[in-house]
Amino acid sequence: MTGFLFDVKVLELADEKGEFCGKLLAGAGAEVLKVEPPGGNSTRSLGPFYRDEAHPDRSLYFWHYNFGKRGVTLDIHTPEGTAILKQLIAQSDVLLDSLPLDTLEKLGLDWSALQQLNPRLIYVVLTPFGRSGPWRDYKATDLVHLALGGQMMCCGYNPTEDGTYDTPPIAPQMWHAYHITGNQAFIATVGALIGRETTGAGEMIDVPIHQAVSVCTEIDVPYWIYNQTPCYRQTGRHAQPAIGPEVQFSTQDDRYSIVLPNPFPGGYETLVGFLEEKGQAGDLTGEKYQDANNRKGMAFAHHFSEVQAGCVAAFGMEEIWRDAQSRGIPWSPIRLPEENLHDEQWRMRATFTEVEHPELGERFSYIGAPMLPNAVSWREGPRAPLVGEHNEDLYCGQLAMSREDVAKLKARGIV
Amino acid sequence: MRPLEGVRIADLTWLLAGAGGPRLLASLGAEVIRIEWRDRLDFLRYMPPFAPQKNENAAKAGALELSGLSQEGLKSVNRAGYFNDINAGKKGVSLNMAHPKGRELFKRLVAVSDVVVEAFTAETMRKWGLGYETLKAIKSDIIYIQQPGWGYKGPYVKFASYGPIAQAVSGLTEQSGLPAPYPPAGWGFSYMDWSGAYYCAITMLCAIYHKKRTGKGQYIDCSQVEPGIYMTGTAVLDHLVNGRHSQRTGNRSPAKLVAPHGAYHCAGNDRWIAIAVTTAEEWAALVREMGNPTWAQHEQFATLAARGQNQDELDRLIGAWTTDKEPFALQARLQKAGVPAGVCQTAQDRVERDPQLQHLKWLIPLSHSEIGTWPVKDVPFHFTNATVNQGGPTERAAPCYGEDNDYVYDELLKLTKQERTELEKEGII
Repeated sequence: MTGFLFDVKVLELADEKGEFCGKLLAGAGAEVLKVEPPGGNSTRSLGPFYRDEAHPDRSLYFWHYNFGKRGVTLDIHTPEGTAILKQLIAQSDVLLDSLPLDTLEKLGLDWSALQQLNPRLIYVVLTPFGRSGPWRDYKATDLVHLALGGQMMCCGYNPTEDGTYDTPPIAPQMWHAYHITGNQAFIATVGALIGRETTGAGEMIDVPIHQAVSVCTEIDVPYWIYNQTPCYRQTGRHAQPAIGPEVQFSTQDDRYSIVLPNPFPGGYETLVGFLEEKGQAGDLTGEKYQDANNRKGMAFAHHFSEVQAGCVAAFGMEEIWRDAQSRGIPWSPIRLPEENLHDEQWRMRATFTEVEHPELGERFSYIGAPMLPNAVSWREGPRAPLVGEHNEDLYCGQLAMSREDVAKLKARGIV
Repeated sequence: MRPLEGVRIADLTWLLAGAGGPRLLASLGAEVIRIEWRDRLDFLRYMPPFAPQKNENAAKAGALELSGLSQEGLKSVNRAGYFNDINAGKKGVSLNMAHPKGRELFKRLVAVSDVVVEAFTAETMRKWGLGYETLKAIKSDIIYIQQPGWGYKGPYVKFASYGPIAQAVSGLTEQSGLPAPYPPAGWGFSYMDWSGAYYCAITMLCAIYHKKRTGKGQYIDCSQVEPGIYMTGTAVLDHLVNGRHSQRTGNRSPAKLVAPHGAYHCAGNDRWIAIAVTTAEEWAALVREMGNPTWAQHEQFATLAARGQNQDELDRLIGAWTTDKEPFALQARLQKAGVPAGVCQTAQDRVERDPQLQHLKWLIPLSHSEIGTWPVKDVPFHFTNATVNQGGPTERAAPCYGEDNDYVYDELLKLTKQERTELEKEGII
């Protein structure tokens, strides 16, 4: 089966800011050609590495984020390189660009030049702060974006008893500023591809990371807009105007689980019934709490939370959560990513897929599709390209250059 | 021209993980018809913050244009601010799907729709006789997106998922926070509700593109948890290849050596600035801005590798320097010197102060029929040619409950006056 975007050709000029978007496009079935500078992209130096060996073809970061793409090397900053880049742009549906601001403009490839090369081109630019504005040239990283975007002030630990914080705001690991932006950029790209079906015309789209990240929090912004009320970060739960009851508890095996209130009618009774069955309901089944009037207010909420903590502490992390969930109780282990590898749910859905690494003579489980389509398939390979792996295919095949000419370009460090 | 002009979506979702997906397609021009029923209203309609009753708060919100606040009571289901944001650009109808006649009416809507998207518990639609086969028989090229939390296929089909649950099981919670013995800090919001919304949108868009090119509809099983797993690939590979278990590293950079890399305390109550220094130039600039302190000349901080080895001491020394600095002035000064730095901004900072977000017009004023005009978060993609914004084809914020019944039932489905009156009397509409 082919993919959703079976006839879409993407040209990717991207670092860590844009590689996730390219990965999604490849996953959805587009043919993604990644152009890297000779020697390989800077993202090949991001760890961790296969057997901890820092090598451009052994970055596990690069493996994950460039899965399913083809890769070529080209120095686009040379006249010959720019000429080849133009040929590639003319043959693409989408140009995905997260190079430093103005890189293509400096090569004479501004939007009007790109349109002349390819009037149907969808040009998607991921910029740190946008292509104009007072912070246009600010420097950022994933951490700086999550600070400015508001995620960090929502994430962290409880304040001390006097209401002050003795721990910093926390930026969750794993490059989420670029995940967020990659998702939004993908949405814009496919939206533009659909629009092109009607207009026949190309489109240029700027996706500022700062804006993408800033719109990706929840109630803190509405609380400020509507009530001018700040929200405060607290351990393992939503930032709120007040410090609420704990929902994250440690387990018997020194791990953690989360138990959320069930908002549906009967949710309280179901959870208390479950706690009782496990011999952990404490005084909740006593006479006092049969009266709903005694189950109101923050004091009870904290007490209820403490009883739940007792139950979670009496069992291993993986021991009773499925049992709870089967009764409709929102309960989950706080897993390490790799602990999902052997879960029956993901096995049945083929969430993980085996990928060959012929250069190593090994195969590894990768995460396959983020959803389960039935009429098309999500891409299952190949693994990320080695440095310049598809040079010959591209230069001698698609672009019909002679081996001699390619050898000359190689000798001059252009490919 | 809006890119998705002419695409109609029957939206049976709720909360954010579901309802956020059609929201994004509305921004691209799709006509989204949000279907609700009074006996099982979206919790977000009851969730604070609410639009205040009087104009008194309007002045406080500074530059934002707020007007037309209604005097009606807060008990209305149309006053919740978060719901207003999450459902901007949609139309709204009331329809009792639990009643057979309601489902017949829904089928008529399916016949004129391109996409049906729902986030019910797994068996609901099938129990109602509205599985994919039925929908397809009504409209052969229908796109049907089903989004129960854990996915429709698999033993956990009946399990509940909300943002924090999807974050916890996928591994994202465990990876956020200070190293043990601290517990995970997790996420201070439902990141996986946003991600659920992104993948709901991604799935719909992929299927719409595919239909444009092939003429074929399809059914897709879209879970909320898998997009979380999808983001953890590097950690999973590190385990499989190197046998390593991922560990929390606080605000440090686990995959790329960057030092300093953290949030440093500033002057004021709970004010912090993030600083991340990779290159020799950035380090030299930071040292200059700090006034060339003697400690910064020591061998233990001379190279990136050395700073990486001595991060505890480095963080302490930089924190001692930042702690009495006004954070925004420090950000401007460090950025001017070429050091990547940014204040840990609050919602107030972003809404009232951030000049870049204002420049990008990240909030747009959209009108709501009951609470007036309020700022709504716009989509973060700027199209050059097409018209794309969160007002969508309705050019307004969220619908009031049943606001577009006239349009949908009279104009679109062409119910006679008598039919409609009867359905209303029977409690179907």
